[in-house]
Formats: sequence, structure tokens, C-alpha cells
Amino acid sequence: MTQTITIDPVTRLEGHGKITIQLNGQGEVEDAHFHVTQVRGFERFSQGRPFYEMPSLMARICGICPVSHLIASAKACEAIMSVRIPHTAAQLRRMLNMAQMVQSHALSFFYLSSPDLLLGMESDPAKRNIFGVAAAKPELGLAGIGLRRFGQHIIELLGNKRIHPGWVVPGGVTEPLSQAKRDEILAMLPEAYANVKMALAAYKQIADRFQQEISVFANFPSNYLGLINEDESIEFTDGALRLIDPQGKIIEDGITANRFTEAIGEAVEPFTYTKFVYYKPLGYPEGSYRVGPLARLNIVKSMGTPLAEKEFAEFKQLAQGPVESSFFYHHARLVEALYGIEKIEQILTDPLILDKQVRATAGVNRLDGAGQIEAPRGTLSHHYKVDENGLITWANLVVATGHNNNAMNKGVLQAAKSYVKDGKFTPGALNRIEAVIRTFDPCLSCSTHAFGQMPLAVSLLSADGEVVDQVIR
Amino acid sequence: MTQHQARCLILACGNTLRGDDGVGPWLAEWAEERFRAQADVCVISRQQWTPELSEEIAHSASVLFIDCSADSAPGVVRLFPVEPAADTLGLATHHLGAPELLALGRELYDSLPSNALLLTIGSGSTELGEAFSDPVKTALHNACSLLEKTVLRLLNGEETANQFLV
Repeated sequence: MTQTITIDPVTRLEGHGKITIQLNGQGEVEDAHFHVTQVRGFERFSQGRPFYEMPSLMARICGICPVSHLIASAKACEAIMSVRIPHTAAQLRRMLNMAQMVQSHALSFFYLSSPDLLLGMESDPAKRNIFGVAAAKPELGLAGIGLRRFGQHIIELLGNKRIHPGWVVPGGVTEPLSQAKRDEILAMLPEAYANVKMALAAYKQIADRFQQEISVFANFPSNYLGLINEDESIEFTDGALRLIDPQGKIIEDGITANRFTEAIGEAVEPFTYTKFVYYKPLGYPEGSYRVGPLARLNIVKSMGTPLAEKEFAEFKQLAQGPVESSFFYHHARLVEALYGIEKIEQILTDPLILDKQVRATAGVNRLDGAGQIEAPRGTLSHHYKVDENGLITWANLVVATGHNNNAMNKGVLQAAKSYVKDGKFTPGALNRIEAVIRTFDPCLSCSTHAFGQMPLAVSLLSADGEVVDQVIR
Repeated sequence: MTQHQARCLILACGNTLRGDDGVGPWLAEWAEERFRAQADVCVISRQQWTPELSEEIAHSASVLFIDCSADSAPGVVRLFPVEPAADTLGLATHHLGAPELLALGRELYDSLPSNALLLTIGSGSTELGEAFSDPVKTALHNACSLLEKTVLRLLNGEETANQFLV
């Protein structure tokens, strides 16, 4: 008789989901699925709205990375307007995107994953949270809070709001940067550098303790996708997509936003509302890949900033080719956070950064437009069609969690095979299976555009589908 | 970094798109206006309370949390002292309650406000919409009055939390 284990809800994620693990008659893991069980309808209810409303509407999808949706949406609108935004506006948006990346990575590392990393996968669940980290390593608790505050405060300074800022609009931004705000951000940099360096040092000190997790946390060959500059350095806001194979060989380069739908397709599975995104020429599921910090560091040749470049060189020592274990998303995330702070400093010293020309204006010049950026969790694409009056007739959003969906499901299966023995969880198994998902830092509300709360569960099912064990938190 | 050293921190929570849940931000806006001239009063309104707020709390002389409550009858205004949480099992990392924020502030900054109070307004409806239910609309005057009185007393700094019980 086969059995199924259910983990419900999976904790410390952006949103909530469920994991089911199917056992065969011998009590061995046969299959595993990560389910996102609720659905939203942003693409549908944006129909009929004026295209210029889309950035502020789309930002409401997510309270963690509204900036990503704002910028991707604005870029899609600019494709409809056929305008090129002023240099200063592009730089200011890039800084906003970096600020969000830093605060989001800080949240993922310090709030969601550091309890596992610093206190141990099998530590007391009652203490395995930010309070436990604060008690055991107060300096890291303070660093986490400081780094998150750094990113959020820049967002608030630029957008006048911490969440859902309306400053990014089609054509640029609504107001230029003031000297006072620039000086305030510059003054925050030393503490931000100190905090991220402390996190990197702490991570490197403990990573070796997790060799077993490294070996089974979504540790398999895959393709990787992300934005890249012409000089092959990392890019979050502009550039074009590069897809590489498991050996690091380029499959396709230069996938611009207007070519996205030629190259990228979406498949559906009956067990989840999150789509499975894949590279069309390879088909589904062979064309699946990973996105996000790990993928970005696997596809680029350099970081383009001195401190991150040094960390990147160290990161590349982890493997001959692409780094495969998703455990290393944590490491990559911290390297990117360092890069983000350096990039913010670079942007603030741009001689044109206080320029007042920050917005281009135009009406509808094309009936179809797409924008793509790198959100903290990976590639994000917005694609709209409008009528001659600029009203949205069709919209499609492809988000990082969809790109990573196949890898997350494979990762859960790989971990379940290691941590479920004789039809039962081994000690610490539940948290480790959840921790596989956490490495990807998925944003489930983003991925399905679901409304409301999304708790996640793990179920153990017998061969005939009967629930024999279930964990619901 | 922006670290408030308020004598009185007003910290509101709520979603203005979910009916009565927006009463916290509404009262925060009212307090911002009422205490605009007083530099020692700091008002922060958030959709949810997150761990980084623990710094502002720890460094304030007193704090008044404001939230709507599903446990009170619709429109009922309550004020009571808040103690740091003793138990953090099952703690959410994106949203903390007032007791957890106090506990985190004490843990990280080794500091607590001398007075910590929670003002709640019983919610009638948290369905989608920007309007308040009739009981909450009726309670707004009382809530503003109690908020004002409480902040003024906190600024005087003469009373202990237990004396604020309503």
C-alpha cells in the first residue's frame, strides 16, 4: 500500500503552500509535490484599465517586492509608448530596485533562513525564529534588522512610501532626487556594508556544517536563466536574458522583453495554481531552469563592483561549472546584497543623479508592450496588449516562482527521498523539506496572484490516496 | 539610520482596503495632525508590524499601539497595558503583535518603554472596502478622545501602565 505525507503549512515563506509526499507499498518515497493552492486574478481584472494605471495596480500584487512589479510594469508601458526614459530616471529606478533587493534578501536570509542556519535544522522549533537568532547571536539579529531597514528606508525616501510607492510611472519617475536625500542615503552606506559583511562572514563560518543538506537540497544539474549586461556582468533592471545549460554553455543569449514570449512558455499541472515556466525550444519539462540569485551568479562572468567581485570569485570556487545545490542560494543572496549596496553608492555618485529631467511623456504608439527585470527571487516579465485608447485588453505576468517551480518540486522530491524512511519522517525531516523551498525564497502570493492568506501543509498519502500522516501549522 | 527617540511613539496597524481594519491607520492620521506641533510624539502607521519596528519601540519612552480587534464587540474601544511576550512558538516573521515587538526590542536593544499600551477598536467588518462599519464610525469620536488623553498622560510620564486600563 502506498502512503502520502502532507506538510501543511510550509512555514517561513512569502505566502503559504502545501507539500504532499507519495509513498509506495514499501514505504519509500515515490513522488512529491509542492502545491500553491489559491489563485488571484490580476491579469484578468486589469483588463479594461488604462495602461498608465498598470504600475500602481500591479505593485499591489506583492507587499515584499512591489518595486519589481512597478518597474517591470512601467517598462511594459514604455514599450507601448515607444519612449526611452531619461538617464537619471533609469539610474534612480535602478537604485530603487537595488534597495528592494537588499531589503528582500535581508528578510530571506535573516528572518526566514538564519534560524535554521544559526540554530540548526533540528533546534527547538519554539526558538527557531528571529527571536532565537536575537538571543543566540544578537549582533546578527541587529545586522538583519539594520540591513532590511536600509533597503526599506531608501524605498521610502525615493517613493515616499515604504510599501507600494507610486513614484515609478510610465516614462520615468515622478520627481527627481534631492541633495538632502542623496546625502542621507550616502550616510547610511557604512552601516549597510558592515551588516552585510558580518552576514557573509557568519554564513561562511557555518556553511560547512550543512554538507548533508547541501548534497540533497535541490542539488541537481539544471539550466539557469537571468538578465545580463553586454559586458556579461550582472544586471537587474535592463540588459537581456541569457539561458545556460547544466555545463554552463550558453543555450540562448539576448532574449529581450519583446522576444520573451517567443522563447518562454508556461505549462500547467493539476496539483498547483503556480505555472511551470520553460524554454520553448527545449519543451516542457526538459526546458525547465532555475532563476534568482544562484542562477544569476551562474550565468554572469562578473559582478561589476569591487567588493562583490571578490566574493563572486570565492563563490565560483564552489564548483567547476554552475553551482548546483540550491542551498547556495543563501550564499548568492548575500553576495548580491553586497553588490546592491555598492551599486547604490555608484549611482549616488553619478554626476547627473540630481538632474531634474526624470520623465518622458507619450501616448499609445504600439498596441503591445513587454518589460522584464530581475526581481529579488528571479526574472519577472510583464506583457500587456492595449486597444487604440490605451485600455488593457490582455495581460500576462511571468514571475520568479513560476520559473523555479519545476526545480522546487524536484528539490522537494530529492529531499523527501533522503529524509523520509520506512514511511516516516526522520528527525528534523519536516523542517529540512521546508528549508529546501526556503532556499528559493519563493513568493507564493506573487506566483498565483491569489487573494487572502496562504497557509502551507505536508501530507503523507498511502498508495490508494489515503492521508496517513499530516502536519498542519 | 532613522532612529526615533520619541517620548511617545504611536504605532498603528491595519489595511485601509479591508473595512474596519483601516481604523488603525485612520487614527494614526488623526494623531499625526493632532500632535503635529509636538516633536516628542512620533506616529508610525504600517499595514503590518514587522521586526524592524522593535528598534523604534525600544528607544521610545512610551508606546501606544493601535489596532482593530476581532475579539471585542464592534465599536468597543479598549485600552490596556501590554507586556513583552514570553512565548515565541509559532511566531510569524512577517507580522508581529505588540507583545512580540516589545520582547524583540528588549532582546536586541536591552531596552523597554516605561509604558506600553494597546488601544483597540472592535471590528464590525473587515470585508473589502474603504468604509468603516456603523459601530466603528460611531466609535471614532471616543477613540480619538481616548487616544488624545492617553498620549497627553504618557507625555506627562507620571503614571504607570496599569492606571490606563479602560
